[in-house]
Parts: sequence; C-alpha cells; structure tokens
Amino acid sequence: MLDFFTIFSKGGIVLWCFQGAGVTESFTGPVNALIRSVILQERSGNNSYTHEALNLKYKLDNEFELIFVVGFQKILTLTYVDKFIDDVQLHFRDRYKNELEQKGPLKLIQNNFEFEDDFLMLLGDAEKSSKARSLGNMRTFVQSEKSQKTVKSMIETKGGEKVKEQGGKKNKNAKKEAPAAEPVKVDPAKAGQKTVENGDQGLTSEEIMQNREKLFRKRTAVPTEKPIKSPKPQKPREKQMRVWHNGGKSTTKDLDYSGRNGDGSSNGDQNPEAQRDPEMQLNSMKGDLLSVDCESSEEEEDEMEDEKEKGETVVVNQTIKTSSKKSGGFGGMFGMLKGLVGSKSLTREDMEPVLEKMKDHLIAKNVAADISSKLCDSVAIKLEGKVMGTFTTVASTVKQALQGSLVQILQPKRRVDILRDVMDAQSQRRPFVITFCGVNGVGKSTNLAKISFWLIENGFTVLIAACDTFRAGAVEQLRTHQRRLNSLHPPEQHGGRPVVQLYEKGYGKDAAGIAMEAIAYARNQTFDVVLVDTAGRMQDNTPLMTALAKLIAINMPDLVLFVGEALVGNEAVDQLVKFNQALADHSMSEKPRLIDGIVLTKFDTIDDKVGAAISMTYITGQPIVFVGTGQTYNDLRSLNARAVVSALMKA
Amino acid sequence: MKADSTGGNMGDKADVEISENPFEPYIEFLRQQLEDQDPIFLIGFIVALAVVVITCVFLKYFLTSKTVRSAVLLVGLCDSGKTLLFSRLLASKFKRTQTSITDSSAPYKAKNDRGSAWTLIDLPGHDSLRSLYLEKFKSGARAIVFVVDSAIFQKEVRDVAEFLYVLLTDNVISRNAPALVVACNKQDITMAKSAKLIQQQLEKEMNTLRVTHSAALSSQDGSVGGSVYLGKKGKDFEFGQLPLKVEFLECSARGNKGEEGDADIESLEKSLAKL
Repeated sequence: MLDFFTIFSKGGIVLWCFQGAGVTESFTGPVNALIRSVILQERSGNNSYTHEALNLKYKLDNEFELIFVVGFQKILTLTYVDKFIDDVQLHFRDRYKNELEQKGPLKLIQNNFEFEDDFLMLLGDAEKSSKARSLGNMRTFVQSEKSQKTVKSMIETKGGEKVKEQGGKKNKNAKKEAPAAEPVKVDPAKAGQKTVENGDQGLTSEEIMQNREKLFRKRTAVPTEKPIKSPKPQKPREKQMRVWHNGGKSTTKDLDYSGRNGDGSSNGDQNPEAQRDPEMQLNSMKGDLLSVDCESSEEEEDEMEDEKEKGETVVVNQTIKTSSKKSGGFGGMFGMLKGLVGSKSLTREDMEPVLEKMKDHLIAKNVAADISSKLCDSVAIKLEGKVMGTFTTVASTVKQALQGSLVQILQPKRRVDILRDVMDAQSQRRPFVITFCGVNGVGKSTNLAKISFWLIENGFTVLIAACDTFRAGAVEQLRTHQRRLNSLHPPEQHGGRPVVQLYEKGYGKDAAGIAMEAIAYARNQTFDVVLVDTAGRMQDNTPLMTALAKLIAINMPDLVLFVGEALVGNEAVDQLVKFNQALADHSMSEKPRLIDGIVLTKFDTIDDKVGAAISMTYITGQPIVFVGTGQTYNDLRSLNARAVVSALMKA
Repeated sequence: MKADSTGGNMGDKADVEISENPFEPYIEFLRQQLEDQDPIFLIGFIVALAVVVITCVFLKYFLTSKTVRSAVLLVGLCDSGKTLLFSRLLASKFKRTQTSITDSSAPYKAKNDRGSAWTLIDLPGHDSLRSLYLEKFKSGARAIVFVVDSAIFQKEVRDVAEFLYVLLTDNVISRNAPALVVACNKQDITMAKSAKLIQQQLEKEMNTLRVTHSAALSSQDGSVGGSVYLGKKGKDFEFGQLPLKVEFLECSARGNKGEEGDADIESLEKSLAKL
C-alpha cells in the first residue's frame, strides 16, 4: 500500500529506500519538496505533508541525525502509518547502532544497509494488526444493552399509550432477525418479554401472544412498518460558540486558569516541583527588597538547572521505552552528573519549561501567539532525542536551536536583488512593474516615494501610477512627491527627460484600468520601472479584495509587495492570510500571483520588539525586501537577519 | 668618662644591630627551612615549576598552529551535486541523495605523493542555510570547491553569480585568499555547458553585480555588506584580476556509465592533489 519509504541522513545521503510495487516515479522530488517546505520553514509541528497526489509522513531522529519518510496515495487512509514509522525507527536504530554511532558520514557512505527483509516483516505486521482491529464483530441484539432495557423506560408517553410499546418491541425483534431464525428469536423475545412483564403492569402472556399474532399478520400485509418512535423534543437552538480561525487553538479549557492557581494538592504529590513557578524562589523575599539590577540571566539559568534536576526525578518515575535512553536511570544524583558530563539525550519533559519560557519571551517581543507556539513545537521536534555535548545545559541548547531557526526563517529563500531584475527587464525592453498593497495607513505612498528615490539615484526612470482613486488627496500627494523628486534630480542631469512622472486619471475610476494604461504608457515611453500605488483596504472587505485581485491578475506585475507595519501584532497573520487567499481565489490562471515580498514599515518606532518580521515571513515564506525606518527619502534599508534575531533573543 | 664612651659605642652597635634585625630573622628562617628540607624535594619543586612553564609555551604554540586552515568546503546552489561529489571523492560510491540540511565532514586523503590529508566538508546549498554554515566554516577554509550545475546554468546564472559574488566579497575569505575551484558538474548530460562558457558568462554577470551591489541599500542597523571591490575599477571584471587563485574545470559526479560506473572526477582530484 505504501508508495515508498526512505531513510536518509540529515546530511543528505540516502541510507536505504523502498519503492512499492508498481510505482515508477522517483520519490526524490516529493521528499525534497517536503524538506524545503516543512523542515526548513520550521513547520514541523504537524508531521504530515501533502504533495500533489501523495501524502507524506515523516519522523526525525535527532540522536543519529536521520529522517524517516513514508509516502502513500492521498486517497488511501492508512491508520497504521504512524505506529509503523515508530516501529521501523526503533528497529533500524537497534540493528545498525554500531554504524550509526560513529560520527561522520564515511560509515554511512560505505555501508550498504540491508534492511529489506526486516522492513517487509514490519510492514506485514502493521497491515495485519490494522486489519484485525477494523473488522470487529458486531454485537447481536441480545448482547446489546438495548435488549436489557424495558420498553416502557425507553418511550416518552404523551398521556397513556400502552399497547404500542409491545408492538414496537416485537416489531424490532421481527425486523432485526431473519424469520428463518425464529426459534432462536422466540427465546430472546421471551427473555425480553420477561423483563417487559416485570416492568409492565397488567398484560398477561395470553394477551401478549394475541398481540403478537396480530402483528405478524400485519407484518406480512405491510412489509414496512416503522417501529413507533417517541417524538424527540425539539432542542431549542442554542447559541453557537464563536470560533476564531486564525486566533490559535486555545480552547476555553486552556484559558481557564482558575484551577491551577487554586489547589496544587489536587494533582497529588507526583510532581509538586513541576507545578512551581520556575521564577520563584522561596524565602527570597525576606528582609528588604532588592534593588532593580540584581537579576541577571545567569541566575535564571541556574534556576532552570534546578528545575531540570528536579524534573529528572519525575522522569525516573515515568517509564521510558526507547532503548537508547541513558539518563535518569539511577535517580537524580547520577542524572545530574551525567547531564553535566554529556551523553544525555533530551526529552520533551526536559524541554517543556524552557520552551514555555521562550514562547512567552517571543510573544512579549510581538511575535504572533500562534506562530510562537508553532515555532516552539518545531524546535522541540528538532531537538527531541538529541544527545547534548559536555557542559551544555538544556536551556542553552534550546536557545541556540531557536536562534538558528529564527535566522533560517528570516533568510530569503530566493535571490533578492531588485536592481538586477530591473536591469534584466530593461534589456528586454519592458518596464518592471511593482505593485504595493496593504491595509489602511501602513505607509504605502510614503515608502513608494522612498523606493522611487532609491531607483532614481541608481539611474532608472520611474513612472508612478496613481491607482488609489478613493482616498482624498492621494493623487495630490503623489504629485507633490513627483515634484520634489524631480527637483532633487533635475532633468538636465539625466539626459533631458524628467526622472519621475505621474500617471493619474483623477478619482473614482477603476484602478485596474488605470494600471493597465500606465504600463502601456511606460512601455511606449521606455520607462524602466512602474510603481503602482493602490488604496488601503481591510482584509475582510470582500469587494475591495476582489478589486485588488483583479488588478493584479490582469496586469501581472513583476513584483507584488505587501506593505505591513512593524507595530502590528497578531493581526499580521490574519492580514497576510486573507490577502493571499483573495489573490489566489480571484485569479483565473492556474498559477496565481501571490505576494512576492514584504515591506516592513515604521521600523524606527519599535525598539527591539521586532517580532512582526518573524510573523510575516513565517506565514508567507516570502522575504522582507525593504525596511522603512523613518519618514524622509533616505530612510530605506534592507533587512539584516542576524541583527533582528539578536534583538529578538535579547532578554 | 671612658665608661660613658664605651657605653656610647655599645649604643651605636646596638643601633646597627637593631636596623638589620627586622630582615635578619626572616632570612635566617628561610635559610633554615631550606636547609631543613630534603634536597630532593627542592629539586622536585623546581622541576614542577619548569614543567608548568614549558607546558604554557607548548600550549601557546599549539593554539596558534590550530588556526592553520585545513578544510576544503564544497559549496554551491541547491541540487548542484555537492553531496554526491562528496560521496564520490571519499569512497567512490554512488549514493542517492536528498537535500542536505546539515553539513557533513570527513577526512580526505589527497592522491599525491605527499599524502596530505585534510577535511572535506559538504555544506548545504539551500538559500536559508547557506549563510549560516558559511559563517561557521569560512575561517578554516583552505580551498573552496564551488559546484555548478552545468546543465541548467543558463536559467540559474544570476543566482550562481550572486552566490559567487557574496563568497568573493566576504571579508574573511578575501583576507585568507583560499584557492577557489569552480567545478562545472553534471557534464554527463548532453546539454551541459563547457567550463569556458560558464567562466565567460559568470564574468559578464559579476560585472553587473559589482554595480548593483555597491548601490544596494545598507541594512537597518547601519552595517554594509562586504565592502571588497572585485577586480579593477574601470575595466571589465575577469577572474584573473582576483587576488585568489581561481580555476575552472569540468567533472561529472554521476559518471557516464550510470550509477554503477565511475565518476568522471579525475581533473577535480588532480587539482585537489595540488593543494
């Protein structure tokens, strides 16, 4: 049933692969797509991924740096796959422990991993177990609970109907079992009846027989006779709970903090330490209050180490199945020593407190809540089972991994060089079209002016298309910018023609039409770049989103830039998702033009709460092309991923 | 009278004695201690001191010698064949590969008379991981093998040039000046471009990139990227103008005879042997 199964190292070498019978296509493509979109974009919280017709499930083994991937057709629903991957992983590790433990890819390259027989055996077991589970025997009526109940208890009477009960019961009996099995049926009917008699008042067995005969006659005449169902009382329509789709998955239970603060004793004595707030130290508040700058990050790490040690006693109590677990076997003492000296693998429980803290830290830095939790999940999966080096704490490992993931997210996934692309378009004698979209008031027009200033400084001619035909003064604003830019770079210095021109048709006209005419005009007059300014619109406003999608679908710009301000919080997620969705829905072609890049504006107003950058790049996967750091023409920068991440991780 | 003078003399002597006295007992004490001790113990003490001093000197020597660069990096765009080349160079084996997400390093013995051995490191080529791993390994690089996919070079020429440009203008790399070998891989495919053509195309592209990158925006905290200017101002860019040694060669990691046959990497091995 499986299409393929591969085991490969994180360094890229395939150790073993299996291709199902009749599958001719190579799986390299889908697996590469899985790696690039899921693992590298830190979306590994959910361990399955769909690529065209295939469903891919994967598992990371962080101790030996391996990845296990299984692929099967999307239409099949195989229930045994998750457990199957776990089994294969354990089996493979046990069998090839020696080869895998040697660091270095040399062994991996030289060895031929003959895993075929074991794999087929495991596959057979998994398939058998799934079949056994699904075909359970249905209970007979006698075994069910319903036959034990009295009929009278089941119906809701509206003022005294007695006879129909028995009829109904007998009918049910008659319908459910075949007439050939009558003798068998009689007994259960009798048994049922006995209970009926007990519960029923006033019906003798003779009467019962008479009624039964009557019913059998009726049954032969009328084949279908529905058992009388008691009318269900109509449930009044209750108020449906509002579900916020983009607001994260926290249910009311998660948000209910009343129980946790109240009684810690209700949870028993199992983990009193885990209940304790990691920041609190008992008896530290005695005496005078300490001054403000006593806290340091080292103190926090010591506390975290204490947490970890106590957490290890908890870990000892719980049974751990994997054979490679070396830690926590002899109680907290040895665990602590082992933790210092190395060869301790990380578990979820060890990382939980640290990850919680990091998640709160990220949220405090203005990263959207949903994305923070997804990021922390992804880091947990990347680190689970990893063996820590000597003298490294859990906290430092997790912080390092999180930092690496953040830098990875912010790095652009494709080449970002606007000037080079403009030169390309120049050589093809067509203008390079950039469209700006975004919600109201984020700085589209201002940043458009800054970008045109930058382009002029580099010797290109710019045409600004005023497609904001709604906002009062939008066209005049752009005209003022044009005049200023032309005075800064007078036409005499640039070959006699003005470097910036404005193409406008006043207010109230169709934006898509103006854009199309502007591009045609630019082509005729050989302008290098066309900057299209659109009106700000809320992402929920369907007619405006449709209009924007139409503008982009008709004109096919080279670059669609979403302008977002750095002050936005959780809203960024909603905005980007809805914008992308609108662009995808209303485009006629197979490959719709989505957002290609992000302009992050008002960056000077946030000090180090730079989380909006992470939210935006995580949601779209597109790079941040420009950063606006002020309100004059010179305040345009490019993104430095390292600086943003260090500002984000700073305590 | 005489008694007074003698008394005075005595007094002077006593003064002299008193002035020397504060040091005397200490020196006497030390001398006595040293004489009391076993001479062997003394010698042991001096030897220990000498050993400590010598260890410090050795450590300093070894620490400085550790910065001798002994790594050869395999870099390139995604899907250019680095991991397969890595496998071929180390064990002459063909292995199926997927996109790498971490680096792999292994010791490599060069095929020359000296039998010099250094570390071969295969870095991931994916855009988001590239700079991370380059930062880690660039200071220890003795040579860089830049792998290019010759078959789809025309489509990717801008991305290849961008990566090469970033590599060459990096401060650490331009300071250390490791040898650069551009390996035009996938020559077994019929439409593969030759090394000479790739060199010319790259030179043209780097020429343009010099202009666009110097005009690029500075990043938001004020730092500008590598401020090294490649080649000579006023003249078209050529690889010969660079301070580091650049060599173009052709190779094929897959080999002409499919998976079972040998890879066509002799030229690569030869140039690696020259290092």
